[in-house]
Amino acid sequence: MIRTIIFLFFLLPQIQAVENKVIARQGQVSFFSYTSVENIKAENNQVLSIINLDNSDIAVSMLMNAFIFEKALMREHFNESYVESDIYPKASFSGKIIDFDPTIEGEQTKMVKGVFSMHGVSKELEIKTKIEKINARYVLSGTFEAQVKDYEIKIPPLLAGNIAKTISVNFRFEYEPYES
Amino acid sequence: MSLMKAKKLFYLLFIFGCTHFSYAQEDLMDILDKELKDTAQVTLATFKMTRIAIGHSIETREKGILEIVTINRFWDTPADRSQSFVADRLTSRIALEYGISNRLSTGLGGTTWDGLFDGYLKYSLVRQKTGKGAPFSVTLFQNASYNSNALPGVQNDFVDRLSFTTQMLIAKKFSPDFSVQLAPTYIHRGNISSGDSPKNHFALGLGARYKLTHHLSLVSEYYFRANPIESFDNYAPFAIGVNWELGDVMLQFNLTNAQRVVEDAFITQTRNNFNFRSPNLNFGFNFTYVIHFKRYLK
Repeated sequence: MIRTIIFLFFLLPQIQAVENKVIARQGQVSFFSYTSVENIKAENNQVLSIINLDNSDIAVSMLMNAFIFEKALMREHFNESYVESDIYPKASFSGKIIDFDPTIEGEQTKMVKGVFSMHGVSKELEIKTKIEKINARYVLSGTFEAQVKDYEIKIPPLLAGNIAKTISVNFRFEYEPYES
Repeated sequence: MSLMKAKKLFYLLFIFGCTHFSYAQEDLMDILDKELKDTAQVTLATFKMTRIAIGHSIETREKGILEIVTINRFWDTPADRSQSFVADRLTSRIALEYGISNRLSTGLGGTTWDGLFDGYLKYSLVRQKTGKGAPFSVTLFQNASYNSNALPGVQNDFVDRLSFTTQMLIAKKFSPDFSVQLAPTYIHRGNISSGDSPKNHFALGLGARYKLTHHLSLVSEYYFRANPIESFDNYAPFAIGVNWELGDVMLQFNLTNAQRVVEDAFITQTRNNFNFRSPNLNFGFNFTYVIHFKRYLK
Protein backbone atom coordinates (compact mmCIF):
# COMPACT_ATOMS: atom_id res chain seq x y z
CA MET A 1 0.00 0.00 0.00
CA ILE A 2 2.62 2.49 1.11
CA ARG A 3 4.74 1.60 -1.85
CA THR A 4 1.88 2.39 -4.17
CA ILE A 5 1.42 5.77 -2.48
CA ILE A 6 5.11 6.52 -2.82
CA PHE A 7 4.98 5.55 -6.42
CA LEU A 8 1.93 7.66 -7.15
CA PHE A 9 3.27 10.75 -5.40
CA PHE A 10 6.36 10.76 -7.46
CA LEU A 11 4.74 9.90 -10.71
CA LEU A 12 1.59 12.00 -10.81
CA PRO A 13 3.08 15.49 -10.95
CA GLN A 14 5.46 14.39 -13.67
CA ILE A 15 2.64 13.33 -15.90
CA GLN A 16 0.83 16.61 -15.32
CA ALA A 17 3.91 18.62 -16.13
CA VAL A 18 4.37 16.89 -19.43
CA GLU A 19 0.92 17.44 -20.78
CA ASN A 20 0.12 21.11 -20.49
CA LYS A 21 2.95 23.09 -21.93
CA VAL A 22 3.88 23.83 -25.50
CA ILE A 23 7.25 25.17 -26.62
CA ALA A 24 8.64 26.94 -29.69
CA ARG A 25 12.37 26.47 -30.14
CA GLN A 26 12.87 28.19 -33.46
CA GLY A 27 10.62 31.16 -33.10
CA GLN A 28 11.13 34.06 -35.45
CA VAL A 29 11.40 37.66 -34.40
CA SER A 30 12.30 40.34 -36.90
CA PHE A 31 12.42 44.09 -36.69
CA PHE A 32 12.44 46.89 -39.20
CA SER A 33 13.54 50.46 -39.15
CA TYR A 34 12.41 52.55 -42.10
CA THR A 35 13.88 55.96 -42.75
CA SER A 36 14.43 57.96 -45.91
CA VAL A 37 18.18 57.39 -45.55
CA GLU A 38 18.34 53.69 -44.87
CA ASN A 39 16.13 50.66 -44.24
CA ILE A 40 17.43 48.33 -41.59
CA LYS A 41 16.11 44.83 -41.11
CA ALA A 42 17.15 42.11 -38.69
CA GLU A 43 15.98 38.58 -38.05
CA ASN A 44 16.37 36.15 -35.20
CA ASN A 45 15.29 32.57 -35.93
CA GLN A 46 16.28 31.02 -32.61
CA VAL A 47 13.79 32.60 -30.28
CA LEU A 48 12.43 30.43 -27.49
CA SER A 49 8.87 30.62 -26.27
CA ILE A 50 6.72 28.50 -24.00
CA ILE A 51 3.01 28.55 -23.10
CA ASN A 52 1.41 26.93 -20.10
CA LEU A 53 -1.97 25.90 -21.49
CA ASP A 54 -3.42 25.48 -17.98
CA ASN A 55 -3.21 29.15 -17.06
CA SER A 56 -2.37 30.81 -20.43
CA ASP A 57 1.01 32.04 -19.15
CA ILE A 58 3.49 32.76 -21.91
CA ALA A 59 7.22 33.45 -21.87
CA VAL A 60 9.62 34.43 -24.65
CA SER A 61 13.41 34.60 -24.48
CA MET A 62 15.95 35.52 -27.14
CA LEU A 63 19.64 36.23 -27.47
CA MET A 64 20.35 39.66 -28.86
CA ASN A 65 23.44 38.59 -30.74
CA ALA A 66 21.45 35.96 -32.64
CA PHE A 67 19.91 38.73 -34.75
CA ILE A 68 21.14 38.59 -38.32
CA PHE A 69 21.41 41.82 -40.25
CA GLU A 70 21.72 42.49 -43.92
CA LYS A 71 25.20 43.92 -43.35
CA ALA A 72 27.61 41.94 -41.20
CA LEU A 73 29.03 45.03 -39.55
CA MET A 74 25.58 46.21 -38.53
CA ARG A 75 25.29 43.20 -36.27
CA GLU A 76 28.51 44.25 -34.56
CA HIS A 77 27.34 47.85 -34.19
CA PHE A 78 23.93 46.72 -32.92
CA ASN A 79 25.41 44.49 -30.24
CA GLU A 80 28.28 46.69 -29.20
CA SER A 81 27.01 50.23 -29.48
CA TYR A 82 23.23 50.04 -29.21
CA VAL A 83 21.83 47.11 -27.19
CA GLU A 84 25.12 46.36 -25.37
CA SER A 85 24.65 42.62 -25.53
CA ASP A 86 27.82 42.03 -23.50
CA ILE A 87 25.94 43.46 -20.53
CA TYR A 88 22.35 42.59 -21.53
CA PRO A 89 22.62 39.42 -23.62
CA LYS A 90 18.90 38.57 -23.59
CA ALA A 91 15.56 40.12 -24.27
CA SER A 92 12.54 38.46 -22.72
CA PHE A 93 8.78 38.69 -22.46
CA SER A 94 6.67 37.22 -19.74
CA GLY A 95 2.91 37.55 -19.63
CA LYS A 96 -0.50 36.08 -20.17
CA ILE A 97 -2.79 35.43 -23.13
CA ILE A 98 -6.08 37.05 -22.15
CA ASP A 99 -9.21 34.87 -22.48
CA PHE A 100 -7.27 32.14 -24.22
CA ASP A 101 -9.11 28.90 -24.85
CA PRO A 102 -6.54 26.33 -25.93
CA THR A 103 -9.20 23.89 -27.05
CA ILE A 104 -10.53 25.99 -29.94
CA GLU A 105 -9.35 24.56 -33.24
CA GLY A 106 -8.43 26.99 -36.01
CA GLU A 107 -7.92 30.71 -35.64
CA GLN A 108 -8.53 33.15 -32.81
CA THR A 109 -7.20 36.64 -32.07
CA LYS A 110 -6.33 37.46 -28.47
CA MET A 111 -4.48 40.12 -26.54
CA VAL A 112 -1.23 39.13 -24.91
CA LYS A 113 -0.38 41.26 -21.91
CA GLY A 114 2.93 41.24 -20.11
CA VAL A 115 6.33 42.73 -19.46
CA PHE A 116 8.98 43.00 -22.13
CA SER A 117 12.58 43.42 -20.93
CA MET A 118 15.45 44.55 -23.12
CA HIS A 119 18.63 46.54 -22.54
CA GLY A 120 17.90 46.48 -18.81
CA VAL A 121 14.53 48.20 -19.26
CA SER A 122 11.17 46.54 -18.55
CA LYS A 123 8.01 47.78 -20.19
CA GLU A 124 4.38 46.72 -20.03
CA LEU A 125 3.15 45.63 -23.45
CA GLU A 126 -0.20 44.62 -24.85
CA ILE A 127 0.08 42.84 -28.18
CA LYS A 128 -2.70 41.71 -30.48
CA THR A 129 -1.84 38.16 -31.40
CA LYS A 130 -3.23 35.72 -33.92
CA ILE A 131 -3.41 32.19 -32.55
CA GLU A 132 -3.89 29.19 -34.82
CA LYS A 133 -4.37 25.69 -33.54
CA ILE A 134 -3.87 22.65 -35.70
CA ASN A 135 -4.17 19.46 -33.66
CA ALA A 136 -1.69 19.76 -30.78
CA ARG A 137 0.31 22.52 -32.47
CA TYR A 138 -0.16 26.21 -31.96
CA VAL A 139 1.12 29.11 -34.05
CA LEU A 140 1.26 32.60 -32.58
CA SER A 141 2.02 35.58 -34.77
CA GLY A 142 1.68 39.33 -34.66
CA THR A 143 3.25 42.75 -34.93
CA PHE A 144 3.93 45.52 -32.50
CA GLU A 145 5.84 48.77 -32.40
CA ALA A 146 8.59 49.73 -30.01
CA GLN A 147 9.99 53.18 -29.34
CA VAL A 148 13.79 53.22 -29.37
CA LYS A 149 13.95 55.80 -26.58
CA ASP A 150 11.78 53.70 -24.25
CA TYR A 151 14.59 51.19 -23.97
CA GLU A 152 17.28 53.77 -23.31
CA ILE A 153 19.05 53.00 -26.57
CA LYS A 154 21.08 56.01 -27.55
CA ILE A 155 21.46 57.00 -31.18
CA PRO A 156 24.25 59.49 -31.88
CA PRO A 157 22.96 62.71 -33.51
CA LEU A 158 25.00 62.04 -36.67
CA LEU A 159 23.16 58.75 -37.23
CA ALA A 160 19.73 59.96 -36.10
CA GLY A 161 18.58 60.06 -39.72
CA ASN A 162 19.54 56.44 -40.32
CA ILE A 163 17.59 54.83 -37.52
CA ALA A 164 13.83 55.18 -37.09
CA LYS A 165 12.44 56.33 -33.75
CA THR A 166 9.77 53.65 -33.92
CA ILE A 167 10.83 50.12 -34.73
CA SER A 168 8.24 47.65 -35.94
CA VAL A 169 8.63 44.14 -34.62
CA ASN A 170 7.15 40.98 -36.17
CA PHE A 171 7.02 37.61 -34.50
CA ARG A 172 5.93 34.10 -35.34
CA PHE A 173 6.23 31.12 -33.02
CA GLU A 174 5.31 27.53 -33.81
CA TYR A 175 4.70 25.49 -30.69
CA GLU A 176 4.88 21.78 -30.18
CA PRO A 177 4.13 19.79 -27.01
CA TYR A 178 6.81 20.28 -24.39
CA GLU A 179 8.49 17.30 -22.83
CA SER A 180 11.00 18.08 -20.12
CA MET B 1 4.05 -0.84 10.87
CA SER B 2 1.95 1.04 13.36
CA LEU B 3 -0.78 3.38 12.23
CA MET B 4 1.11 6.32 13.74
CA LYS B 5 4.17 5.58 11.67
CA ALA B 6 2.16 5.10 8.56
CA LYS B 7 0.50 8.50 9.12
CA LYS B 8 3.86 10.17 9.62
CA LEU B 9 5.16 8.67 6.47
CA PHE B 10 2.06 9.74 4.65
CA TYR B 11 2.52 13.37 5.70
CA LEU B 12 6.18 13.25 4.87
CA LEU B 13 5.38 11.96 1.44
CA PHE B 14 2.67 14.53 1.05
CA ILE B 15 5.16 17.34 1.68
CA PHE B 16 7.60 15.66 -0.63
CA GLY B 17 4.95 15.31 -3.26
CA CYS B 18 4.01 18.97 -2.90
CA THR B 19 7.54 20.22 -3.41
CA HIS B 20 7.81 17.90 -6.32
CA PHE B 21 4.63 19.31 -7.71
CA SER B 22 5.75 22.92 -7.32
CA TYR B 23 8.93 21.97 -9.11
CA ALA B 24 6.85 20.74 -11.98
CA GLN B 25 5.03 24.08 -12.03
CA GLU B 26 8.27 26.01 -12.18
CA ASP B 27 8.45 29.39 -13.77
CA LEU B 28 8.21 29.30 -17.53
CA MET B 29 11.23 31.58 -17.81
CA ASP B 30 13.34 29.04 -15.91
CA ILE B 31 12.43 26.41 -18.47
CA LEU B 32 13.50 28.73 -21.28
CA ASP B 33 16.75 29.53 -19.50
CA LYS B 34 17.46 25.82 -19.38
CA GLU B 35 16.51 25.39 -23.02
CA LEU B 36 18.86 28.19 -23.97
CA LYS B 37 21.82 25.90 -24.22
CA ASP B 38 25.18 27.16 -23.13
CA THR B 39 26.24 27.95 -26.64
CA ALA B 40 29.51 29.82 -26.40
CA GLN B 41 29.10 33.29 -27.84
CA VAL B 42 31.90 34.74 -29.93
CA THR B 43 33.07 38.00 -28.38
CA LEU B 44 32.32 40.78 -30.82
CA ALA B 45 34.21 44.00 -31.40
CA THR B 46 37.41 43.51 -29.40
CA PHE B 47 38.86 46.51 -31.20
CA LYS B 48 36.20 46.97 -33.87
CA MET B 49 38.62 48.42 -36.38
CA THR B 50 41.27 46.44 -38.20
CA ARG B 51 43.94 48.73 -36.73
CA ILE B 52 44.24 49.78 -33.12
CA ALA B 53 46.01 53.03 -34.00
CA ILE B 54 49.11 52.45 -36.12
CA GLY B 55 49.36 48.65 -36.01
CA HIS B 56 46.97 45.86 -36.90
CA SER B 57 44.41 44.59 -34.40
CA ILE B 58 43.05 41.05 -34.22
CA GLU B 59 39.93 42.14 -36.13
CA THR B 60 39.35 40.67 -39.55
CA ARG B 61 36.43 41.57 -41.73
CA GLU B 62 33.67 39.14 -42.56
CA LYS B 63 33.21 37.66 -46.00
CA GLY B 64 32.27 40.11 -48.70
CA ILE B 65 33.23 43.28 -46.86
CA LEU B 66 35.41 45.69 -48.78
CA GLU B 67 37.07 48.52 -46.96
CA ILE B 68 38.50 51.57 -48.63
CA VAL B 69 41.22 52.67 -46.27
CA THR B 70 43.40 55.74 -46.21
CA ILE B 71 45.97 56.07 -43.48
CA ASN B 72 47.48 59.55 -43.34
CA ARG B 73 50.24 61.15 -41.27
CA PHE B 74 50.94 64.85 -41.14
CA TRP B 75 54.06 66.41 -39.68
CA ASP B 76 56.17 69.52 -39.76
CA THR B 77 59.83 69.95 -40.61
CA PRO B 78 62.08 71.41 -37.90
CA ALA B 79 62.41 74.69 -39.83
CA ASP B 80 61.71 77.82 -37.78
CA ARG B 81 59.38 79.27 -40.33
CA SER B 82 57.20 77.38 -42.67
CA GLN B 83 54.61 78.52 -45.14
CA SER B 84 53.02 75.16 -45.82
CA PHE B 85 49.29 74.93 -45.67
CA VAL B 86 48.23 72.86 -42.61
CA ALA B 87 51.36 70.70 -42.43
CA ASP B 88 54.79 70.54 -44.05
CA ARG B 89 54.69 66.85 -44.92
CA LEU B 90 52.05 64.29 -45.60
CA THR B 91 52.18 60.58 -46.21
CA SER B 92 49.18 58.57 -47.21
CA ARG B 93 48.64 54.87 -47.60
CA ILE B 94 45.70 54.19 -49.84
CA ALA B 95 44.44 50.64 -49.76
CA LEU B 96 41.66 48.22 -50.50
CA GLU B 97 41.06 45.61 -47.84
CA TYR B 98 38.69 42.71 -48.30
CA GLY B 99 37.18 39.84 -46.30
CA ILE B 100 37.78 36.67 -48.31
CA SER B 101 36.06 34.49 -45.73
CA ASN B 102 34.74 35.19 -42.25
CA ARG B 103 38.23 34.47 -40.92
CA LEU B 104 40.58 35.50 -43.71
CA SER B 105 41.18 39.08 -44.81
CA THR B 106 43.56 40.60 -47.27
CA GLY B 107 44.70 44.09 -48.19
CA LEU B 108 46.71 45.81 -50.90
CA GLY B 109 48.01 49.32 -50.57
CA GLY B 110 50.53 51.90 -51.63
CA THR B 111 52.13 54.62 -49.53
CA THR B 112 52.96 57.97 -51.08
CA TRP B 113 55.90 59.33 -49.11
CA ASP B 114 58.14 56.28 -48.69
CA GLY B 115 57.06 54.54 -51.91
CA LEU B 116 56.18 51.21 -50.30
CA PHE B 117 53.63 48.91 -51.84
CA ASP B 118 52.33 46.31 -49.48
CA GLY B 119 49.98 43.39 -49.29
CA TYR B 120 48.89 41.34 -46.34
CA LEU B 121 46.93 38.28 -45.29
CA LYS B 122 45.32 38.08 -41.91
CA TYR B 123 43.73 34.96 -40.47
CA SER B 124 41.57 34.84 -37.38
CA LEU B 125 42.77 31.59 -35.80
CA VAL B 126 41.16 31.63 -32.37
CA ARG B 127 38.17 33.67 -31.30
CA GLN B 128 37.47 34.67 -27.75
CA LYS B 129 34.18 33.23 -26.53
CA THR B 130 32.05 33.51 -23.46
CA GLY B 131 31.57 30.51 -21.20
CA LYS B 132 33.73 27.52 -21.97
CA GLY B 133 35.23 28.91 -25.17
CA ALA B 134 38.71 30.31 -25.72
CA PRO B 135 39.50 33.09 -23.22
CA PHE B 136 41.34 35.19 -25.83
CA SER B 137 41.61 35.71 -29.58
CA VAL B 138 44.55 34.96 -31.83
CA THR B 139 45.01 36.33 -35.34
CA LEU B 140 47.95 35.56 -37.60
CA PHE B 141 49.26 38.37 -39.75
CA GLN B 142 51.68 38.22 -42.65
CA ASN B 143 52.61 41.08 -44.90
CA ALA B 144 55.08 41.77 -47.65
CA SER B 145 56.16 45.21 -48.74
CA TYR B 146 57.97 46.28 -51.88
CA ASN B 147 60.18 49.35 -51.80
CA SER B 148 59.73 51.19 -55.09
CA ASN B 149 62.29 53.92 -54.40
CA ALA B 150 65.55 54.26 -56.29
CA LEU B 151 67.91 52.24 -54.06
CA PRO B 152 71.66 52.50 -54.50
CA GLY B 153 73.54 49.22 -54.36
CA VAL B 154 70.62 46.92 -54.90
CA GLN B 155 71.86 43.65 -56.37
CA ASN B 156 68.76 41.60 -56.89
CA ASP B 157 66.27 44.17 -58.02
CA PHE B 158 63.18 42.34 -56.81
CA VAL B 159 64.12 40.28 -53.76
CA ASP B 160 66.23 43.00 -52.15
CA ARG B 161 63.33 45.38 -52.22
CA LEU B 162 61.03 43.09 -50.27
CA SER B 163 60.46 43.10 -46.52
CA PHE B 164 58.23 40.81 -44.54
CA THR B 165 56.41 41.15 -41.24
CA THR B 166 54.94 38.22 -39.37
CA GLN B 167 52.80 38.85 -36.32
CA MET B 168 50.85 36.76 -33.90
CA LEU B 169 48.19 39.07 -32.55
CA ILE B 170 46.84 37.95 -29.20
CA ALA B 171 44.00 39.94 -27.68
CA LYS B 172 41.56 39.74 -24.85
CA LYS B 173 38.44 41.76 -24.29
CA PHE B 174 38.43 42.01 -20.50
CA SER B 175 35.17 43.90 -20.28
CA PRO B 176 32.81 45.53 -22.78
CA ASP B 177 34.95 48.65 -22.40
CA PHE B 178 38.49 47.37 -22.19
CA SER B 179 40.61 45.26 -24.56
CA VAL B 180 44.33 44.55 -24.63
CA GLN B 181 46.51 43.13 -27.37
CA LEU B 182 50.00 41.61 -27.41
CA ALA B 183 51.74 41.31 -30.73
CA PRO B 184 54.93 39.24 -30.96
CA THR B 185 56.45 40.37 -34.22
CA TYR B 186 59.14 39.08 -36.55
CA ILE B 187 60.42 41.30 -39.33
CA HIS B 188 62.71 40.36 -42.18
CA ARG B 189 64.06 43.38 -44.02
CA GLY B 190 65.38 43.32 -47.53
CA ASN B 191 68.94 44.49 -48.18
CA ILE B 192 68.17 48.19 -48.11
CA SER B 193 71.49 50.06 -47.91
CA SER B 194 71.65 49.89 -44.14
CA GLY B 195 75.16 48.55 -43.81
CA ASP B 196 75.75 45.74 -41.37
CA SER B 197 72.48 46.09 -39.49
CA PRO B 198 70.62 42.88 -38.84
CA LYS B 199 68.10 41.86 -41.41
CA ASN B 200 65.91 40.04 -38.92
CA HIS B 201 64.20 41.85 -36.11
CA PHE B 202 61.99 40.86 -33.22
CA ALA B 203 59.53 43.13 -31.52
CA LEU B 204 56.61 42.99 -29.14
CA GLY B 205 53.62 45.22 -29.69
CA LEU B 206 51.36 46.27 -26.88
CA GLY B 207 48.01 47.87 -27.59
CA ALA B 208 44.85 48.70 -25.71
CA ARG B 209 41.41 50.15 -26.23
CA TYR B 210 39.16 51.79 -23.71
CA LYS B 211 35.63 52.70 -24.72
CA LEU B 212 34.70 56.25 -23.78
CA THR B 213 31.17 56.23 -25.19
CA HIS B 214 29.17 53.82 -27.35
CA HIS B 215 30.90 54.99 -30.49
CA LEU B 216 34.15 56.52 -29.30
CA SER B 217 37.16 54.80 -27.80
CA LEU B 218 40.60 55.75 -26.56
CA VAL B 219 43.46 53.68 -27.98
CA SER B 220 47.19 53.41 -27.48
CA GLU B 221 49.99 51.33 -28.90
CA TYR B 222 53.67 50.75 -28.24
CA TYR B 223 56.22 48.45 -29.84
CA PHE B 224 59.22 47.14 -27.85
CA ARG B 225 62.05 46.24 -30.20
CA ALA B 226 64.43 43.46 -29.18
CA ASN B 227 67.22 44.21 -31.70
CA PRO B 228 66.81 47.63 -33.33
CA ILE B 229 68.76 48.71 -36.40
CA GLU B 230 72.17 49.98 -35.27
CA SER B 231 73.37 52.02 -38.22
CA PHE B 232 71.13 55.00 -37.49
CA ASP B 233 69.15 56.36 -34.55
CA ASN B 234 65.68 54.95 -34.23
CA TYR B 235 63.06 54.75 -31.53
CA ALA B 236 60.15 52.66 -30.43
CA PRO B 237 56.91 53.65 -32.15
CA PHE B 238 54.17 54.93 -29.86
CA ALA B 239 50.67 56.18 -30.58
CA ILE B 240 47.75 57.49 -28.63
CA GLY B 241 44.44 58.40 -30.16
CA VAL B 242 40.71 58.02 -30.47
CA ASN B 243 38.67 55.76 -32.72
CA TRP B 244 35.27 56.94 -33.79
CA GLU B 245 32.81 54.64 -35.48
CA LEU B 246 29.93 56.04 -37.52
CA GLY B 247 28.20 53.10 -39.13
CA ASP B 248 29.82 52.59 -42.51
CA VAL B 249 32.51 55.15 -41.80
CA MET B 250 35.26 54.62 -39.27
CA LEU B 251 37.61 57.38 -38.28
CA GLN B 252 40.82 57.15 -36.31
CA PHE B 253 42.75 60.13 -35.00
CA ASN B 254 46.08 59.71 -33.30
CA LEU B 255 49.33 61.31 -32.25
CA THR B 256 52.42 59.24 -32.98
CA ASN B 257 56.13 59.39 -33.64
CA ALA B 258 55.80 56.89 -36.52
CA GLN B 259 55.92 58.65 -39.84
CA ARG B 260 55.78 55.48 -41.83
CA VAL B 261 52.69 53.36 -42.19
CA VAL B 262 53.67 49.85 -43.28
CA GLU B 263 54.53 47.50 -40.40
CA ASP B 264 58.15 46.63 -41.23
CA ALA B 265 58.90 50.31 -41.82
CA PHE B 266 57.38 51.87 -38.73
CA ILE B 267 58.44 49.17 -36.28
CA THR B 268 62.11 49.17 -37.28
CA GLN B 269 62.61 52.60 -38.81
CA THR B 270 60.90 55.22 -36.69
CA ARG B 271 63.62 57.84 -36.55
CA ASN B 272 62.26 60.14 -33.87
CA ASN B 273 61.15 59.61 -30.33
CA PHE B 274 57.69 60.59 -29.23
CA ASN B 275 57.45 64.22 -28.14
CA PHE B 276 55.62 67.33 -29.18
CA ARG B 277 58.42 68.93 -31.23
CA SER B 278 58.67 68.99 -35.00
CA PRO B 279 59.22 66.68 -36.78
CA ASN B 280 58.74 64.14 -33.99
CA LEU B 281 55.04 64.65 -33.62
CA ASN B 282 52.84 63.21 -36.31
CA PHE B 283 49.15 63.67 -36.55
CA GLY B 284 47.59 60.48 -37.83
CA PHE B 285 44.22 60.28 -39.47
CA ASN B 286 42.75 57.02 -40.76
CA PHE B 287 39.58 56.98 -42.78
CA THR B 288 37.81 53.72 -43.56
CA TYR B 289 34.69 53.36 -45.66
CA VAL B 290 32.98 49.99 -45.43
CA ILE B 291 31.12 48.43 -48.37
CA HIS B 292 29.16 45.21 -47.90
CA PHE B 293 29.05 42.98 -50.98
CA LYS B 294 27.40 40.14 -49.15
CA ARG B 295 23.85 40.67 -47.91
CA TYR B 296 22.64 38.21 -45.33
CA LEU B 297 18.89 38.78 -45.60
CA LYS B 298 16.74 38.63 -48.70
